[in-house]
Amino acid sequence: MSITVPNTKRAKQAAKGPYGHLGTVLNELDDRLGVAEGGRSFMDKIFPDHWSFMLGEIALYSFVVIMVTGVFLTLYYIPSQALVTYHGSYLPLDGMRVTEAFASTVNLSFAVRAGLLMRQMHHWSCDIFIGSMVVHMARVFFTGAFRKPRELNWSIGLTLLTLAIVNGFLGYSLPDDLVSGTGIRIAYSIVLSIPLVGTYLGFFAFGGNFPGTSVIPRFFIMHVLIVPGIMLGLVGAHMFLLYRQKHTQFPGEGRTEKNVVGSPMFPVFMAKTTGFLLLVTGVTALLGAFAQINPIWQFGPYEASRISYAVQPDWYMAFLDGMLRIFPAWSFHSFGYTIPFEVTIPAVIFPGLLFGVAYAWPTLERLFTKDNEMHNLLDRPSNRPKRTAAGAAVLAMLSTLFLASSTDVIANFFHISLTTVLWSMRVLVLVSPFVAYPITYKICKEMQGIKGGGKRKTPNVVTRTEEGEYLASSAPVYVDDLPSELEPTEVPRYITSPPKEPDVAEPGARIVER
Amino acid sequence: MSDVHESRTPVTLSGLPEDDPHLQPAANDPRQVERVIAVTFALGLLLVAGFGACYWIAAPPWTLGATMGGGLTLLGVGLVAWGKYLMPAGPFVEERHSHASSPEARDALAAAIVQRGGSVVKRRKLLGGLLTGGLGIFGIVAIFPLLRSLGPLPKGTLFHTDWRKGTYAVDSTGRRVQVGDLAVGSIVTVYPEGLENSDRGQAVDQTVLVRISNENFTTQKGRETWGPMGYLAYSKVCTHLGCPVGLYEQELQLLVCPCHQSMFNVTNGAIPQFGPAPRPLPQLPLYVDASGYIRAQADYNQPVGPGFWERG
Amino acid sequence: MTTSLIKRLGAFSAVAFLVLAPLSVFVSSASGAGHTPYQTTRKNAGTPNSSVVVKNKSGVVISYGNSAIMYNAPSSKLVTLGQALFLENCASCHGVEANGVAANGTSGAYPNLVGLGPATIDFWIDSGRMPAADPRAVEAPRRTPRLTPVQALAVAAWVNSLLPSYPDIPTPNLKNANVADGAALFALNCAACHTIEGDGDALAEDTFAPSLRKIPAFQVVEAIRTGPANMPRFTGNLSDYQVRDIVKYVTTEIEHPQNPGGLGLGGLGPVAEGFVGLLLGVGILALVAFWVGERQ
Repeated sequence: MSITVPNTKRAKQAAKGPYGHLGTVLNELDDRLGVAEGGRSFMDKIFPDHWSFMLGEIALYSFVVIMVTGVFLTLYYIPSQALVTYHGSYLPLDGMRVTEAFASTVNLSFAVRAGLLMRQMHHWSCDIFIGSMVVHMARVFFTGAFRKPRELNWSIGLTLLTLAIVNGFLGYSLPDDLVSGTGIRIAYSIVLSIPLVGTYLGFFAFGGNFPGTSVIPRFFIMHVLIVPGIMLGLVGAHMFLLYRQKHTQFPGEGRTEKNVVGSPMFPVFMAKTTGFLLLVTGVTALLGAFAQINPIWQFGPYEASRISYAVQPDWYMAFLDGMLRIFPAWSFHSFGYTIPFEVTIPAVIFPGLLFGVAYAWPTLERLFTKDNEMHNLLDRPSNRPKRTAAGAAVLAMLSTLFLASSTDVIANFFHISLTTVLWSMRVLVLVSPFVAYPITYKICKEMQGIKGGGKRKTPNVVTRTEEGEYLASSAPVYVDDLPSELEPTEVPRYITSPPKEPDVAEPGARIVER
Repeated sequence: MSDVHESRTPVTLSGLPEDDPHLQPAANDPRQVERVIAVTFALGLLLVAGFGACYWIAAPPWTLGATMGGGLTLLGVGLVAWGKYLMPAGPFVEERHSHASSPEARDALAAAIVQRGGSVVKRRKLLGGLLTGGLGIFGIVAIFPLLRSLGPLPKGTLFHTDWRKGTYAVDSTGRRVQVGDLAVGSIVTVYPEGLENSDRGQAVDQTVLVRISNENFTTQKGRETWGPMGYLAYSKVCTHLGCPVGLYEQELQLLVCPCHQSMFNVTNGAIPQFGPAPRPLPQLPLYVDASGYIRAQADYNQPVGPGFWERG
Repeated sequence: MTTSLIKRLGAFSAVAFLVLAPLSVFVSSASGAGHTPYQTTRKNAGTPNSSVVVKNKSGVVISYGNSAIMYNAPSSKLVTLGQALFLENCASCHGVEANGVAANGTSGAYPNLVGLGPATIDFWIDSGRMPAADPRAVEAPRRTPRLTPVQALAVAAWVNSLLPSYPDIPTPNLKNANVADGAALFALNCAACHTIEGDGDALAEDTFAPSLRKIPAFQVVEAIRTGPANMPRFTGNLSDYQVRDIVKYVTTEIEHPQNPGGLGLGGLGPVAEGFVGLLLGVGILALVAFWVGERQ
C-alpha cells in the first residue's frame, strides 16, 4: 500500500472529491465535529405545510426584529432618573426639567438618524410579537397540539408569553413619559396590595417609597438583559423540542401518527421561512414608517402630580386594566390589617388563576378524558366541542376585559354615559363566557361529521318538480374523485357523529342540473 | 388524473430519481414565475438601495421606513415565491420514531440511580446532611444581598406625609396660596412649602385644594374646622391605585380619578360615589392665618394613597 | 469596474428617489396637512412667571398679571342692541331680567346671569353653546354660533350693565409665550379632563370634556377664567402669563400636534395602537402566512 501525493493540478482536483471547496470544508468540519450524518438528516427534515403553523414564526421573527432594533436603542438611551434641562430640537419641551431617560428618548427620536424609525419598529414589533404569540397559542390550544408528548413545550410557550408581557411593560416604562409613569405608579400600587409582603416587595423593587430613585435603571437592566436572556434561552428550548419531537400535522391524505408529511428543510422550507423573516421585518418597518406609536414628546415628562385622562397601557396589559376598572370597591379591613381586594383580586389573583389554569390545562384534560395516548395528529376544533367552547369562553371574557380598559373612550365615542358603559362591562364580563360557551359548543356539534370540516364542498343538485317546488339534494360524487388509492383517514374515537358517507355514483354518470 | 394523484401521494425524499414528479416545481409555468420573481427582486433591490440613499441624505423618518420596509417585503415575497413555486413540489414524508426507550433501558437507568445513589446516601449520611445544610444556609444568606439591600424597610414611611402644623400650601411654582386666590369652583394642586419640586412632594404630599360654596356641604363629624371659607383640601393620591385625582367637576362636585374613574364626592368628605376605590380621599385640615394664607392644621390623620397590608 | 459600480448605485438611488418622491407628497398630506415634522431651531428664551394679582376695592380680582392678556369691557353703545337680542334669544329661559326667573315664573331651573361678568356671557354665546339647542339637556355642546361676535358682545354688554362685574373680554398676546411652561401647566391642570392630546373624553354622569381643537385663543382664556359648566375656574391661582403660556400650547401644539412618526392615529394612544398592531400588523402577517404556508 502506497500513499500517492497528488502533484498535478488535475490530481489535486480529483483528491478534493467531486464537491470542490464545499467538500473540503465539510470534510474538515466532519473530522472534528461529525456533522455529516446529522446535517444530512437536518436537510431532509420535513415540515408540514399548513398556514397556521407559520403563526409561531411571526412571533419568532418579531423577536428577532425586537432584539436588533433594541440593540440600536440601547446605544442612545440613558437609563437615569437624574434631572436635566431639555434643550433639544423639539421646541415645545425646550427648557423643561426632565429626567435623562426622557430627554435621551426624545433625542434618539429626533436627533439620531433613523432613531425614530428604530423606536417605532421596536414598539410595533412588540405589539405584533405578543399578538402573534396569543394567536399561535390559540392555534395550539384549539387543535390540541399541547397534548402528550408536547406538554413541556406548552409550558415553555406560556412562560415566554408571560415574560414577553412583563418585558413589554418594562420597556413601555423606560421613556419615563407622563403615560408610562402613570403605569409604573399603578404597578407599584399593585405590588403594595399583596398581603403580608407587599410593602416590602414594593420598597425593595423601587428602592424606597414611590417613585424611588432606582426604578428606571433597574427596569432597564431587567428589560435589556435579564428577561430577554431568559427568553432567548427558552426560545432555544422551544425550538429544540419542536425539532426533537417533530411538528404535529392535521389528519389527511397519507398522514398518520407515525409520519410527517410536508416540505423538506432544504431548500423549500428554508427559502420560505427566510422569505417570511424578510416579510415580517418589512411589514414592521412599513408600520414604523407610516403609523406613529407612543409619541412621548406629546405626553411630556412624568411628574407624580400630573395626569392625563384616557391613559391606557399597551394592548397586552389592557385586560388587567379593564379588570381593575370594573371590579367593585371591596376592601377587607380587620384585625388591624388591610387586604385591598379591589386591587389584589383583579390584578394579582385573577391573572395568577388565568395563567395557572393555562399551565395546568394539558394535565387537567388528561385527567378528565383519561387520554394518555401520544398525539401527533391534530384535532379539528369542532371535534373537541368542550375544549373549543371553553377556549372561546375565556377568549370572550378576555376580549370584554380588553374593551373594558377603554370605557371612557367608548363612552366618549358613542356619547353615552360613563356609568352606563361601566355597568354594561361589569355585566358583559360575567355573561360573555356563558354565552360564548353554549354557542360554540352547538356550532361544533353541528360541524361534526361533515366531510371537509364544515366547508360543505360536496355540490348540491337543485331540481324543480312539476308543481314548481325546488328541492335540493347532495350531488353524487364521481368514483374518480375519491382518493381511493390513499389510506383512509383514521376517525378519532372521540368524534361522536360518524362522518357521512357520500353517495357514490356509477362511473360515467353525470350530474344533471336543471 | 392518475399523475396528479401520484404526485399528491407523499414519498420519502432520499433516493428519489431526478425526474420524479415530486421534485418538479409546483408552478405550471416556471418560466413565467421566474420572470415575476426577478422583477420583484429587482424592485426590492432598488428600494433597499434607496434606503441607503435616504439614510445618507438624512431624509425624513418615514422615507427610511418606507424604503427599508418596502424593499425587505419585496425581497421576502420573491424568496417565498421561489420556495413555493420553483422548488420541489413534494409532498414528502418522513418517519416519526418514538423517543421512548425499551423497558430494559429504563430499568437499567432506574437501577443505576437507586443502587449507586442509595449506596452514597446510606453510607455518608453525615456528609450529605452537612453539604445540604451548607448549601441551604447559603441560599438563605444569599437572599440578603439579593433582596434586602435593594431598598429600605417600609417602617412608617407610608403612614405620614410632610404636612405639619402651620405648613404653607404652595402651588407648583412655589407661590403661597392666599384666601382670595380661588373663586368658588376653582381647583389648584398644592404642596407643602419647599417640597413642590421634590419627588416626595409630588408623589406623596400632593393635595388638591378646591373652593366650594357653603351650600349643600355636609360637614363630617370631627372635621368642623377643617375647611375654612369653603376651602377643602384632599389628598391627590387616589385610594385605588395612586393616580393623581386631578379631574374636578365643579357643578357635580366630584373629583374623578382619570385612571379608573373612581368618583369622590367633594361636598361629603370625598366619599367614593362610584368606581373601584373603596376608601374616601383623606382630608387635610386647613386654617387661614392672619395674613390670609392657607396653612395646614396638621398632617393627614390616615395614610394617603392605595391600600396595603399594614394599613389597618 | 469600481466606477461603473458606483454609477450603477447612483442610478439605482436616483430611480428609487423618483419612485418615492410622489409617495412623499401623499404621506405628508396624510400625516397632518403638510406640517413640518419638527422644528430645528431654538426660539423661546423663556419668560419668568409673575403673578401680580390686581384687585379692586371690594377685593374682587380684576387682573392676574399685566400685559400678557388685555381685558376689555364691551362698549356701552351696544347695551340697547344687547337687550333686544337678549329678549329675543335668551329671555325665555333666563328671564327678562337675566336673573334666572323664566318667563313662566319658575326660578332655579336656569342660571341667574346677573354679575357673571362679560367673559362668561361672551364665551357661552360665541362658542355656539347658547342659545341652547335643547335647553333641558345636561350639557350644551359647542356648535356654529347663532349670534355674530358683535351680537355676543352686545348681549354681554347689556347683562353686564345690570351689575358690572369681571372678568372682561380677554385678548391674549401670545408673542412672548413659553410653550414649554404651557405644556407643563397643561399636564398639571388640563390633561386630567381634556387628555394630554386635547381630545376630550367622557366624564361622570353624562358629562363630557370637549375637544380643544379649533378653538380661538380668546375663548380658551375665557374658559380658563370663567369655568363654564363643570370645568373648574382658574382665577388667582394662574397668572395671566401662565394662562397665556397654556393658550399658546393649546393653539399650537394641541391644534397641530407634531407627528414625525407617521399617522397620528387620532391621538387615542395605546387603544388605537393596539388595534393597528393587532389588525394591521398581526392581521397582514397572518394573511401572508396563509400564502406562505398553504399548499396549492
